[in-house]
Amino acid sequence: MSSLLNVTFPVLAHWMIVCLLSPFFLGVIARVKAFFSGKAGPPVLQPYFDLARLFRKKCVYSSTATWVFRAAPVIILAAMMALSLLVPFGICKAPVQFSGDILLAVYLLALGRFFMILAALDTGSSFEGMGASREAFFSCLSELALFMNFITLALLTRSISLARMIGADVPIVWGGMEPTLLLAVASLFIVLLAENRRIPVDDPETHLELTMIHEVMILDHSGVDLAYLLYASALKLFIFFGILVSIIVPVRTGYPVTDTAIFLGGMLGLAALVGIVESSMARLRLNRVRLLLLISFALAFFGLIVTLWRA
Amino acid sequence: MDKILFGSWPVPFGEFSLKLDPLSLVFLIAVTILAVCAGAYGFGYMRPYQGKKPLGVHAFFYLLLALVLVLIVTANNVILFLSAWELMTISTFFLIIFNDEQPPVRKAGFIYLIASHCATFFLFLMFFLMSRAAGSMAFDVMARTTFPPLLAGTIFLLSLAGFGVKAGFFPVHVWLPHAHPASPSHISALLSGIAIKMGVYGICRVLCIMKVLPVWCGYVLLMIGVVSGIMGVLYALGQHELKKLLAYHSIENIGIITLGLGAGLLGMSYQAPFLAVLGFGGGLLHVLNHSLFKSLLFLGAGSVIQETHTGEMDHMGGLAKALPLTGVLFLVGALSICGLPLFNGFISEFIIYFGLFQGLLGLPVHGVIICALGILSLGLMGALASACFCKVYGTVFLGKPRAGSSHSPEGMPERPTAQEGVCREGTSKWMLVPMAALAAACVLIGLVPRTVTGLTFLGAACMAHVDLATIQTEQVLVPLTMVIRVAFLFLALICVLITVRRLLLGRASVPIRETWGCGFAGVSSRFQYTSSSFARLIVELMKTVLLFRRHGGQVTGAFPEKTRMDSSVHDASEEMAYRPGLDFLNDVSKKLGHGRIRHTQVYLMYILLFLIFLLVWKMK
Amino acid sequence: MTLWIDVSCILVVFLALSVLATNRIVGMIKIFAVQSFILSFVPLFLHADAVSGRDITLSLVTMVLKAILVPAILFWQIRHISMRSEIKPLIGLGTSILFGAVLIAVAFWVSLSLRLPGKLLSSLVLPCSLATMLLGFMTMVTRTRAITQVLGYMVIENGIFLFALSLFDAMPVLIEMGILLDIFVAVLIMAIVLNHINEEFERTGGSAGRSKTGETV
Repeated sequence: MSSLLNVTFPVLAHWMIVCLLSPFFLGVIARVKAFFSGKAGPPVLQPYFDLARLFRKKCVYSSTATWVFRAAPVIILAAMMALSLLVPFGICKAPVQFSGDILLAVYLLALGRFFMILAALDTGSSFEGMGASREAFFSCLSELALFMNFITLALLTRSISLARMIGADVPIVWGGMEPTLLLAVASLFIVLLAENRRIPVDDPETHLELTMIHEVMILDHSGVDLAYLLYASALKLFIFFGILVSIIVPVRTGYPVTDTAIFLGGMLGLAALVGIVESSMARLRLNRVRLLLLISFALAFFGLIVTLWRA
Repeated sequence: MDKILFGSWPVPFGEFSLKLDPLSLVFLIAVTILAVCAGAYGFGYMRPYQGKKPLGVHAFFYLLLALVLVLIVTANNVILFLSAWELMTISTFFLIIFNDEQPPVRKAGFIYLIASHCATFFLFLMFFLMSRAAGSMAFDVMARTTFPPLLAGTIFLLSLAGFGVKAGFFPVHVWLPHAHPASPSHISALLSGIAIKMGVYGICRVLCIMKVLPVWCGYVLLMIGVVSGIMGVLYALGQHELKKLLAYHSIENIGIITLGLGAGLLGMSYQAPFLAVLGFGGGLLHVLNHSLFKSLLFLGAGSVIQETHTGEMDHMGGLAKALPLTGVLFLVGALSICGLPLFNGFISEFIIYFGLFQGLLGLPVHGVIICALGILSLGLMGALASACFCKVYGTVFLGKPRAGSSHSPEGMPERPTAQEGVCREGTSKWMLVPMAALAAACVLIGLVPRTVTGLTFLGAACMAHVDLATIQTEQVLVPLTMVIRVAFLFLALICVLITVRRLLLGRASVPIRETWGCGFAGVSSRFQYTSSSFARLIVELMKTVLLFRRHGGQVTGAFPEKTRMDSSVHDASEEMAYRPGLDFLNDVSKKLGHGRIRHTQVYLMYILLFLIFLLVWKMK
Repeated sequence: MTLWIDVSCILVVFLALSVLATNRIVGMIKIFAVQSFILSFVPLFLHADAVSGRDITLSLVTMVLKAILVPAILFWQIRHISMRSEIKPLIGLGTSILFGAVLIAVAFWVSLSLRLPGKLLSSLVLPCSLATMLLGFMTMVTRTRAITQVLGYMVIENGIFLFALSLFDAMPVLIEMGILLDIFVAVLIMAIVLNHINEEFERTGGSAGRSKTGETV
């Protein structure tokens, strides 16, 4: 019984932290953007209020939709929560770690995306089909860049477990491999923007435009379902932040409080960076997004070459 | 269970004998499961044809095919193997041309026959070289022979040419996309599920016999896997016809299998037995998995076609309401083929990935580069495949029915309305139960992979000529166990989330409204994204490779007139290599025929001269 | 100090790739300026222990010439001839990026077998300078405008400069200055010549005589 408790407790604690913290960073990004456009902006806790309101609301379903539409939000949120178990956040070690877990991570992302697209197509709306088509296209490119980076990181750290590859347990030493890491971080940052559909790729603020990707796919979701989807995207952002911060800030002092402070500082800094990027750039034209992702791929490719060269 | 030799009996060229080793066993299991499931499905599927077509002949060739498939995987003798091989080609041909009154079907059948026979030529050559070097026609004697590297390389290339056509490697896959849509669905399932795997079996057998191959062979095999995989899935994305799309996906999956085999071969060349076992094991497991989920998908496609009388995806839609059970089963197949966790596709791809990562961290630099390429292309294939199956499932089963003409591609007669053994959704139980069994097998392997990994690793060890006990397969099985644990956790999470949702929503009935048309009132089901428009972005990016052609669709003027647009993707190898080549051959032979020879006597003279030549040659 | 040279090398190659992946002339010039700016810091990292006056001079001269003067001339040029954007590269930008990635790989592969007389400061310098040259060349190949040809040429020159810097100690500074002067003169001449050509035609190349519609923005 106690062994079961030993296994379940870290998992539950991890989920608790992840679920509690993740919407916060959406609020931070919104705040930074508001600051740059000279507005007061919503309170940092606004995403929590939004979620709470949506959780109280009822759902409306389309007459076209089938069970896939209802199942999708649940599956997507569950996939993101399962994925969060593989990612370490600061001093919270990843509760599930094994050799090759990056594959599970990538394919859990793919599973979520699969159902997202199916739910969008299930409504029979042409707008949502449009978003679904774009999501499928861009995710192919970003997945390519993601794999390229993982190959480089695997070569650098001689490991294929996510937590080790991003230097959470054994911090990556920047000295000596910085050019490669520089490239990997830049490439992963573009992947982060693309996977979370942030501004140069997609505009999370607008609704109902022909140009959108993620927002248009959730047009027909409402109430609890929409809350699940919003939560899932907050989790996804949090997970990507966690991965990037682990690589960028390999500082481990050994004191839990300091380490947590450093990690949270890194997360806030990254959120601010995303906010700055969003306020300083316009959404790219769709055929430009392709180029952005290709550049991310080229960066990762370059990183791999340099790694091989130095090996 | 090393080798079980059956009794042998004397015939002109050596002796026929059968052998069952773990490698054969993997294929044998796939053959038996599929033959039974597809047969049962065919029983229901063929019912509308009763009294209109000679079903007895069809059944005869089906059973013959099942028998020779078993013979192929257990043959221990070249002659037996080749006879069974040819019988397979012929019986498959008759099964494909079931609807022989339609010209495209006949054409598909002939393409298949010609392609297969051209390939068999290489096989004759290969087996000739092999048996000459070994001095025997028996596989087990050959396996004990050591071949010089040059000969081994030649044999390897010949086997790629000979078996590659059957397996559907990318440039020589031409027969595949023609034969699959033309044949009845359970035959497509059998063709794609197991007949093309016979090519893979042949290559595996050759690898197993050769033992030591030059290092470049591994690279060649891996590159073939990469090219077939990526091209297969890209072409699949461009297709409009359901079964043709699935046929191209078979090419992709053969690519994945070959990638695994290539990684294994690299492991053998570089003396990395763990990599060898992982590569071969992953490849073999994918053979089994692919035969399960691909036949499931083809059977599902059969039910869809029976319902809609068309294979054109852009005319379908909303079938999940008409065929709810088929819809769920098809979804299981789609999730499996995309390699998503919880299903069997993930397990085999995980093992192959794992092997490639081992190669990445352990091989010298050329190996590292090719392994990185393998990982990348496997990732790309996964992403493209899930895009493709989103497209298939989204357009066929979800959304609203798109209005379209309903004509039958297979000449399917209208289904009689009331029939015994027909369930709620109108599909016969004979058709649903085999699909359910296949889907259950997919989920079983996905959740309890140890049921089959033991066997496939044994097969892999047999191919790599190592003792499985010396290989720490636990290194990959333990991560797999962790994957399964996360998968169960994931399922538990889904249950919890559903409960939370129930609690939050309460008991009140959920309002059902029309899909929000963004303020536009006159929405019709024709507005929906079709399969072609869904895949357009990817296909247009790749239009130079895919020969993407688009006609019409230009809207001009303030009051544009009615216009139409069609787009299609053409097979580059067919359009750019085979057709010009064929035309050239036609020209040459026409010239020869007209210019030189008119009389039969001249032919007879040629034969006489050749006979004398042979006699003189043998005299020396 | 090798560390900073490595980082600069990587950035220079990346910026060369960005030049290839941009189709707006203003953007290209800016990226080139940044590339030259980074390059101008490399002399300071050459001698780990003590930065000599020679290094500082070289750095300053490079910065003034390449990061300020040349871009300024180019900006003046495009304002003068009123053409702000590249209409269309010969091959798509996406394809250019992929080709660029391949070229980088080729550069690294080729440098495996290159043996140099002197000792290099960092093993990355040789492949990176080679990659920069190839990417610059690719830019010249894929673009139609005269000004983009100049930019491609300047990127090639940056690659050569990076390579020359690594052999700095073996080379007298006079040659260095000579190189810099060379470029300066080259750009100046090109600017003047282009200016005159542009009064006649809007672009160089075989298609100069064809229709001029749609060329001016």
